[in-house]
Amino acid sequence: MEHMGIEPGRLQFSWISSAESTKFVEVVTQVTAAIKALGPNSNFAKKMAEVA
Amino acid sequence: MLSYTEKIREIAGRLLQSGAVEMVIGFRAGTVPMMNEPHFAKTPADVQKLVWDSHCGINLANYLTDRKEKIGVLAKGCDSRNIVTHIIENKIKREQLVIIGVPCKGMVDKRKIAMKAETEITEVIEAETTITAKGHGFSKTFEKKDVLQHNCSLCIHRNPVIHDEMVAPPVVEQQGVDRYADVRSIAAMTPEQRWKYFEDLLAPCIRCYACRNACPLCYCPTCFVDESRPQWVGKSLDPSDVRTFHFLRAYHCAGRCTDCGACERACPVGINMRTFTKKLEQDCLDLFGWEVGLDPEVRPPLDVYRPQDPNDFIK
Amino acid sequence: MSEWEPKIAAFLCNWCSYGAADLAGVGRMEYPPNVRVIRIPCTGRMDPKFFLAALREGADGVWVSG
Repeated sequence: MEHMGIEPGRLQFSWISSAESTKFVEVVTQVTAAIKALGPNSNFAKKMAEVA
Repeated sequence: MLSYTEKIREIAGRLLQSGAVEMVIGFRAGTVPMMNEPHFAKTPADVQKLVWDSHCGINLANYLTDRKEKIGVLAKGCDSRNIVTHIIENKIKREQLVIIGVPCKGMVDKRKIAMKAETEITEVIEAETTITAKGHGFSKTFEKKDVLQHNCSLCIHRNPVIHDEMVAPPVVEQQGVDRYADVRSIAAMTPEQRWKYFEDLLAPCIRCYACRNACPLCYCPTCFVDESRPQWVGKSLDPSDVRTFHFLRAYHCAGRCTDCGACERACPVGINMRTFTKKLEQDCLDLFGWEVGLDPEVRPPLDVYRPQDPNDFIK
Repeated sequence: MSEWEPKIAAFLCNWCSYGAADLAGVGRMEYPPNVRVIRIPCTGRMDPKFFLAALREGADGVWVSG
């Protein structure tokens, strides 16, 4: 991924047990903040044909 | 290297005659210079067509997938490692094969020669360390080491890792080769520069899938590019589709690619897609100490779980 | 539209994180609404083509959780 120029952090991994709802909330918050900081994924998203 | 041809014919003839194998897979001269093609020898007349020179870059392991008969196969260093991978992945049985090992000194990149030629090359004459290309009113001699395929110039496994016969004594392996200079130069770039680099690299791609077809690892009955429900990758030349294709193709080769260069060689527009697989090869070496296809008894790292596997990327 | 909000495709394992997400819901916990959860039978089901497809279809990030 990073080798190809997709920003590190666009892809996140974690390990949460089914009993760890607090950790889940924590990680969702972290992941969202990290990706928000990166800004929109403008590179890889397929551009739709622009219709006038 | 030229003397190999006689020896290859002798071994192939002997194997066919004794009934040890039903066919021998090797090379014959192509219809144009520098384009040897795979040859499947089944009769004594076929055997006489077998040749060996510096244009035998196609990976013959590609022709072994799911074969049922007994086969003699010529194997350079890289071919033999792909044969090992085939054995590990149950695509062929070791007992079916008589592997004729060919110590290799690297294959010549036809593009490098064609670029330096002023006219179309109609004849190529090879000596031990030089190669002479001739065209209409044109003749030029190259040192072989200057026109090697890029992967061959970085190769440290020139001798076959498994073989039943050898056509010549092993050659000296290259020492102190910096195999990952390309990967490092990309690692030094910022994400934006990398994006640009790969955009330029893949811009000429016409999605012909020659790289996939030439690759001995790509034997899936239905390739992901042909799947339509769901469709993982669009069939257009849209840059994101092209990139998805190359990206996934490389991923499928992780821990399996021997850097034989068949993909790059087959590409009609000269894309160096080894830039992707090279990175994965380096990762496998750094993270798992793994080099592909050296031992049929060892499972590849992506097959097995070990407690010491790196997992720092997980939160 | 006030502020840009990312869209995140979350691939959650049925037995681990998906359970945690469920528990978080049962517990009425609050968390950012940016994740779009996709349940997979096990993280072993994860495939590079999933996150490529997600990014290509316009996700801003991908989160895989076991």
